[in-house]
Amino acid sequence: MTFLASPLAVLEIACALLSAIILIAYLVLRPPLVRATKLWLLLGLGVFPIGAAFAGNVQGFEATKERAFCGSCHVMALHRADSDDLASASLASRHARNAMFGRENCYVCHANYGMFGTIVTKAGGLRHVWLYLTEYRNIPVEESKKTIRLREPAQMNGNCIQCHSTEDTLWLKVPDHRALLDDVRVGRISCASEGCHGLAHPFFQAPGAGEKK
Amino acid sequence: MSVRADRWLTAACVSALAALALMTWQIFDPTVWPVMVAMSLGQVLGTASLAAFGYVAVADFRARRRADIEPRPGDPD
Repeated sequence: MTFLASPLAVLEIACALLSAIILIAYLVLRPPLVRATKLWLLLGLGVFPIGAAFAGNVQGFEATKERAFCGSCHVMALHRADSDDLASASLASRHARNAMFGRENCYVCHANYGMFGTIVTKAGGLRHVWLYLTEYRNIPVEESKKTIRLREPAQMNGNCIQCHSTEDTLWLKVPDHRALLDDVRVGRISCASEGCHGLAHPFFQAPGAGEKK
Repeated sequence: MSVRADRWLTAACVSALAALALMTWQIFDPTVWPVMVAMSLGQVLGTASLAAFGYVAVADFRARRRADIEPRPGDPD
């Protein structure tokens, strides 16, 4: 019953229940359409459903950030399993064990940053749904590993840099960081490349290898 | 209430109940399809049911107003 921890989920269920009671009562009792009936129907068809939709939409948008949501498409099963694995040493799993990322580690690392980051990310998510329906729905996980790629691998460093500032003295003390500073900042060299910190999802191919999806 | 208005309201109530079921489903199963269906089909059904209710309410209001304006037999001139 984890959904009960969210006030929005409770609000949605409460609004939906109140609305359902009014609507079922109307369908069973069939009262005449007098002013009182209209007011009850306004609550049952307008006020409470709008409340349920509002709470549900916000709750839904929050749900789309969770790893369980991303991993609910079968082609993401390996990614999810790796992040869930407490013994895994992959970048994704290590970040998932960090409270800043936690259950939302897919979203935190892959969301576009900037002013319209959330909107761009949601639009990208719809693209994922389209690709899933048209290309990946019946593809086995092992087969999908060969074709799934980052669409904009150069952008990924920007997400790393949000936390791992390239201005920090400790970071700059590392000779490789200092030598590759400009390349890292513009995304010419990926933080998660094999020569640096390793692939975020080690069972997948390096970003940029092959066709983009 | 006319038979037509009654049908519209019945359809609105059934449609709203379906919309609420779809919107609530995503709370219990927050995976791709329940969330997508709730935010698309659920919203469409919910909006359609409110629109149907609005149509019936406005039609009923206009009918009552017309009935009030039209002179009844026996009304003074």
